Amino acid sequence: MLEHIELFFKSIFIDNMVFAVFLGMCSYLAVSKKVATAVGLGAAVIFVLAVTVPLNWLLDQYLLRDGALAWLGPEFADYNLSFLSFILFIATIATMVQLVEIVVEKFSPALYNSLGIFLPLIAVNCAILGGSLFMQSREIATLGLAFNYGVSSGIGWFLAILAIAAIREKIRYSNVPPPLRGLGITFIITGLMGIGFQSFGGMLTGGSEEEAPVLEKTAAAKVEEVEVKENKKEIDEKEISYNDAINK
Amino acid sequence: MSNRRLTFKKRLHILKHHFRDKKMAPAFAAFHTFLFTPDETTHSGAHVRGADDLKRTMNMVILALVPVLLFSMFNAGYQHYAAIDVANNVSRELSLWENFLTWDNFWIGIIKVLPLVVVSYGVGLGVEFIFAIIKGHEVEEGYLVTGMLVPLIVPIDTPLWMLAISVIFGVVIGKEVFGGTGMNILNPALTIRAFLFFAYPTWMSGDKVWVYEAVERTGTADAISGETVLGALAQNNLAELNYSVSDMFFGFIPGSVGETSTFLILLGGLFLVFSKIASWRIMLSAVIGSLVMGYIFNVIVDMGIITEYSNFYGLMSFEYWQHLLVGGLAFGIVYMATDPVTGSQTNRGKWIYGFLIGFLSVMIRVFNPAYPEGVFLAILLMNVFAPTIDHYVVKSNIKKRLKRLKNATILPKDSDSKAEELKAETV
Repeated sequence: MLEHIELFFKSIFIDNMVFAVFLGMCSYLAVSKKVATAVGLGAAVIFVLAVTVPLNWLLDQYLLRDGALAWLGPEFADYNLSFLSFILFIATIATMVQLVEIVVEKFSPALYNSLGIFLPLIAVNCAILGGSLFMQSREIATLGLAFNYGVSSGIGWFLAILAIAAIREKIRYSNVPPPLRGLGITFIITGLMGIGFQSFGGMLTGGSEEEAPVLEKTAAAKVEEVEVKENKKEIDEKEISYNDAINK
Repeated sequence: MSNRRLTFKKRLHILKHHFRDKKMAPAFAAFHTFLFTPDETTHSGAHVRGADDLKRTMNMVILALVPVLLFSMFNAGYQHYAAIDVANNVSRELSLWENFLTWDNFWIGIIKVLPLVVVSYGVGLGVEFIFAIIKGHEVEEGYLVTGMLVPLIVPIDTPLWMLAISVIFGVVIGKEVFGGTGMNILNPALTIRAFLFFAYPTWMSGDKVWVYEAVERTGTADAISGETVLGALAQNNLAELNYSVSDMFFGFIPGSVGETSTFLILLGGLFLVFSKIASWRIMLSAVIGSLVMGYIFNVIVDMGIITEYSNFYGLMSFEYWQHLLVGGLAFGIVYMATDPVTGSQTNRGKWIYGFLIGFLSVMIRVFNPAYPEGVFLAILLMNVFAPTIDHYVVKSNIKKRLKRLKNATILPKDSDSKAEELKAETV
């Protein structure tokens, strides 16, 4: 339970998709002129991330990672298909987006209309692929955590685009110098918002250290003990061989 | 005397007309309005004469800051000599008249704090003047308060060139690119401090930067140091804390230049509330927010979830109301969070905004070992989200009013139909 809460908080605020790793910038910059559309896109991103990250987790777990094919039989245990992960992940994402679009169009035309072009656009949003790849590289342990990771990093992206859309609505009448109008000022705002989000940088690291020092100490102590023993053995052996040599 | 002044004033008026349409006009006009009321009058339309224009508002805040500045100048010296006494194992009893309000202390304030103020104002106003002349608009008074806040929220040994660079960054990137005073999204003073913090972290935290000469004396025989209360707590150095609650309340502790005296900040805050410059909603809700978060942490410690060996123990077990007395929390709440430009602007939004500032400040203090002085980051973060809060508050208000309007328009119809019924009956 605790690790779920930690992962949730961490992926929303600390490893925020926009402010910590700068992913999904294209749609973040392009679709953040109005709050209403930003909310639509953000909701769609949350939804797609929540679906694709667990799916890709299954793919990774049972198909792609080193030794994942062991369930087929012992002769497959040596295969490592992780070089295929990009292509399979993006295929999953594209398929899922298409499927979701068809389903939503069929069953909820109102939602479909409100999402409009954003749903297909999401297929090429790098935050989505990034979510799956981070899931892979951070070695998220269970399906539940993968789902959690998808939802929470989506929420982080949602918060970012919501905040910048509100700010852009607020500064619409500001006297921004002409060369900076539009994208220029948006980039500057994003940087400044990044400073604000820095408040969470490095947060909770104390949480893992809480138990870590004890473990580390024991581990270090064990290593030391082993080393000492080995050294003793070596010294003993040397002495023995030295004595042997003398005796001979 | 009055006669000469009048002529000087008149001469200035004439000079101003002479300078009109010249390139330097904004700079000249700025000095002119700083000294005297302008002689221009409006010619058309209806006008409301208000005494609380931008210049007066700014001056009120500066007035509220003056006691804090004076105190900080004495405290700079006091902390310096106190640290020397600690290094020499001499016990020191605080007495207001004998070793606090002394000329020696004040002299260190003059040579360390005043240059910070001068550099902050000089560089910041210089940038403002250059922008005003290039863009051809009037010089705005926005920097007057920022320039006073900046020296009060930096450590005393901050090198002046660092301060100058970050002031330039803060004023240009934080304010001028958005179109100047009143348009910025982040508080400029806090942007400046954040820039300093992330660009020169060694000068902004640790146990050396808070006391005058501590950095220079490092490694020598007469080395001194002064850890802030929060810094000591964050490292679980509970034994090193020998400040009483009254020390913390009145501000005889190391810290950023002007943040230490909660008492004077409280007076300044009351002054700002009664002169209706700052929002009491933000102040009150921020205080409540920090108390709530601090209390939650206290309860966690009391329940035994967190033990003495945890990294968080020091700050979590800190009495919840004492969070307000140490670090920059009080200063941030009174002078930074209430910034009318970057804060929330709706009444309900102010409650949410303030509450989250207090809540997040204490949370960052406890959970983020890198930034025990994380108040400024919490305020910056809430500045980022203030427009979002406002947006939804306004939206919900619109919804409410639409509902009311609907009810209001339906009611007369009902009464009309009733009236018709009555008519039909009577007929």
